[in-house]
Amino acid sequence: MARPAPARPARAFPLWAGAGFAALLVWSWHGTGVDPAALFGPEGLGQIAAYVRKLFPPDLSAHALRDAASGAVETFAISLIGSLLSVGIAAPLSLLATRTLLYRGILFEGRPPGPGARARRVALYAAGKATLRVLRTIPEIVWALIFVFMVGLGPFPGVLALGFHTGGVLGKLFGEVLEDVDPAPLEALQATGATRFQVLVYGVLPQALPQFVSYTLYRWEVNIRAAAMMGFVGAGGLGQRIHVAISLFHEHQLLTLILAIYLIVTLVDALSAYLRARLV
Amino acid sequence: MYELRGIRKVFAGGEAALDGVSLAVGRGEHVAFVGPSGAGKTTLFRILNLTLRPTAGTLVLDGRDVAGLSDAELRRARTRIGTIYQRQNLVGRLRVVHNVLAGNLGRWSTATALASLVRPRGAEEAARALEQVGMPEKLWARTDELSGGQQQRVAIARVLVQNPDVILADEPVSSVDPSLAVTIVSLLRDLSHERRKTLLMNLHSVELALAYFPRIVGIRDGRIHFDLAPARVTRELLAELYAGHRDDELQLERLQDGTRPFGGACRPLPGFAE
Repeated sequence: MARPAPARPARAFPLWAGAGFAALLVWSWHGTGVDPAALFGPEGLGQIAAYVRKLFPPDLSAHALRDAASGAVETFAISLIGSLLSVGIAAPLSLLATRTLLYRGILFEGRPPGPGARARRVALYAAGKATLRVLRTIPEIVWALIFVFMVGLGPFPGVLALGFHTGGVLGKLFGEVLEDVDPAPLEALQATGATRFQVLVYGVLPQALPQFVSYTLYRWEVNIRAAAMMGFVGAGGLGQRIHVAISLFHEHQLLTLILAIYLIVTLVDALSAYLRARLV
Repeated sequence: MYELRGIRKVFAGGEAALDGVSLAVGRGEHVAFVGPSGAGKTTLFRILNLTLRPTAGTLVLDGRDVAGLSDAELRRARTRIGTIYQRQNLVGRLRVVHNVLAGNLGRWSTATALASLVRPRGAEEAARALEQVGMPEKLWARTDELSGGQQQRVAIARVLVQNPDVILADEPVSSVDPSLAVTIVSLLRDLSHERRKTLLMNLHSVELALAYFPRIVGIRDGRIHFDLAPARVTRELLAELYAGHRDDELQLERLQDGTRPFGGACRPLPGFAE
């Protein structure tokens, strides 16, 4: 018996949305004043070539090298401690940003929370999500400005700035990982009489940890670059020295510092790849 | 043990998965549930192990209506019910020892549960349970490195550690080969018999159900179709039970031919040609 062919499903991305997106692109192109001629015209290219010539050779004097080395160590330390702090902020907040641990999903089918308890938990979830959103909407550099005001110049405000912003980013990602774990083992653990916390520790976290580690390592790679910039607002590291070198037209020193950033970024990428291979 | 009255379960936006199931199961009884897939057997088991709440109806466990239990009482009641799932529902990234010892979670404090993840508490107990299911050497293996049949035995070892009064096994042999299926079903039956446990099992194979269980409940479209001793389960009843489900009808035809996929391990089936 021949069955009629199933109807074609509606387009996931309708034509009007495509047209709207194209309009948005054109509008943004104009709004940002994109002008390839200014970059690739003879004048622009000449300027770039002149500046690059001025950078060479890098300043390899003992003083410049020592300065770059201490800046690099400081930046590395800011990125590392800042990333650790961000995990410390993200881990507890992400539990609040996980609906399946608070009020819905497989752990609540045996006993759904009453209307009062449910309202409280939905509010807790909303508060967790909102806190994470605030943390990550404020860019690192703005957090750094705020913390320089609060705790003074140096690497410490840089650590706090990275920790707060990245904490917001990781908290959101961790929450999504927690909601996405396979529910079948959780159901089995709950069926043995385990508490929700025990189900979290025995069922949810073992499934989520590899992705937690992976996301954290990736954000560490991002943070080493961010840490290098933090010094522009007085929060220590290579950025502070780069800011000084640019302002005082010390181009050769500037190149040394840029090379130092290149080195530590490469180092962190390699370390991160090593840890990922071992842990994930 | 169990008393169900008019149990009904409707999932959001769906038809009724269970529609007025009433049933009593005594302590120590062995009951097999058969029926086409989608009949509501798994839903029934999730209600029986207290992880799913019925939409309507009453579930009485040892004389108490479970709807009236507090959170703590509900968890305590769950510790007395051990479940073996069709998909083994183990945590693949944990070692076998932790999955087996998870049977203790209902008795353990949070601190003990955490400490055991670092230094397994009662690893000998887990080893004994694994020995009973015939794989003592896998104690420290990563669970996701085991085959489906081995994982199913880990799940049984977890239930042994939990040591419940009731064992619910939801299609425990649908993902293993026929000889292992016979081993697992007879293992569960013998363990339950020795330790005087109530055993309820969903089975896809009518042959295994009729051979190993003294009471057969047929479920179709969320209702109980029959509830009889195997000798009184007739060909006609089974044909009605599986009508319209092609795969299962083939199973019945094979039974009538006398072809028995589980071979000599099963006793001759009453009501079928030898």
